[in-house]
Amino acid sequence: MSDFRPTFRPALGAKTAITSAEVKLSALPEGAIVQVLAPPGEQDVASFLSGLGKGGVRTFSPGQWLIVGDEPMTQEDMKTLFETLEPRATGVDQSAGRARIRIDGKQAGRVLSKGTALDLSADAFPVGRSATTLIGHIAAHITRIDSDSFELIVLRGFAESLWDDLTRMSAEYR
Amino acid sequence: MASLVPCPHCGARPKEEFTVKGAAQVRPAPDTDKKSWVDYVYLRENPRGRYEEFWHHTSGCRRWLVVIRDTATHEIESSCDAAFAGQTDART
Ligand SMILES: [Zn+2]
Repeated sequence: MSDFRPTFRPALGAKTAITSAEVKLSALPEGAIVQVLAPPGEQDVASFLSGLGKGGVRTFSPGQWLIVGDEPMTQEDMKTLFETLEPRATGVDQSAGRARIRIDGKQAGRVLSKGTALDLSADAFPVGRSATTLIGHIAAHITRIDSDSFELIVLRGFAESLWDDLTRMSAEYR
Repeated sequence: MASLVPCPHCGARPKEEFTVKGAAQVRPAPDTDKKSWVDYVYLRENPRGRYEEFWHHTSGCRRWLVVIRDTATHEIESSCDAAFAGQTDART
């Protein structure tokens, strides 16, 4: 067995949260992120997932959802969840693969609009709506969690770059 | 180039989110003759006008789409999910 041991550190551990009256940027806890994939034609999966009470349910893509939570899941809990999902759907643990960023404030939508072509107006993108899109050159998943709050889910390796971009994009509102 | 591409799942999105694969052709049967396979693999019509192409919504829903566009005006006629071609209407 190798003596090499990876050093565990939060993806955005070195970043300081941005707090201003107009825009706030913070790293969400590295809890659990589970990708759920259902076969074509499977009905009412979203409500089934919400009913499990394992965390927030985000639409990811046709037939795919993410379950997100602030608390990490033990291997045992994860295994139980995967068993509960079958045979309607299959779960994949993405907890270490993706990071979550939260952006709040009156100007949060304007900051994001600098990077994405998504229509973020309250009518087109109401609370609870999710979309996968590009923010600049980085693919990210955006959910409106409140009228002036968005959750961003990004591949872990891109989290720092996206954070730095968001810092620059929000500079004028600080 | 058409800068907004209608995805049946995501709505209108900028072309930067997509990868174009090329002409949407029907794959020949495995045991068909060599000429048909050469045509399928190497030969394209390159029309001036209506063209059916496979587009992948790489930075969005990650679904393969069939997008019908005009190569001269770049106007998009319609798009649908490649798996349900003809069943899903495009959202613009
Ligand atoms: Zn799409």
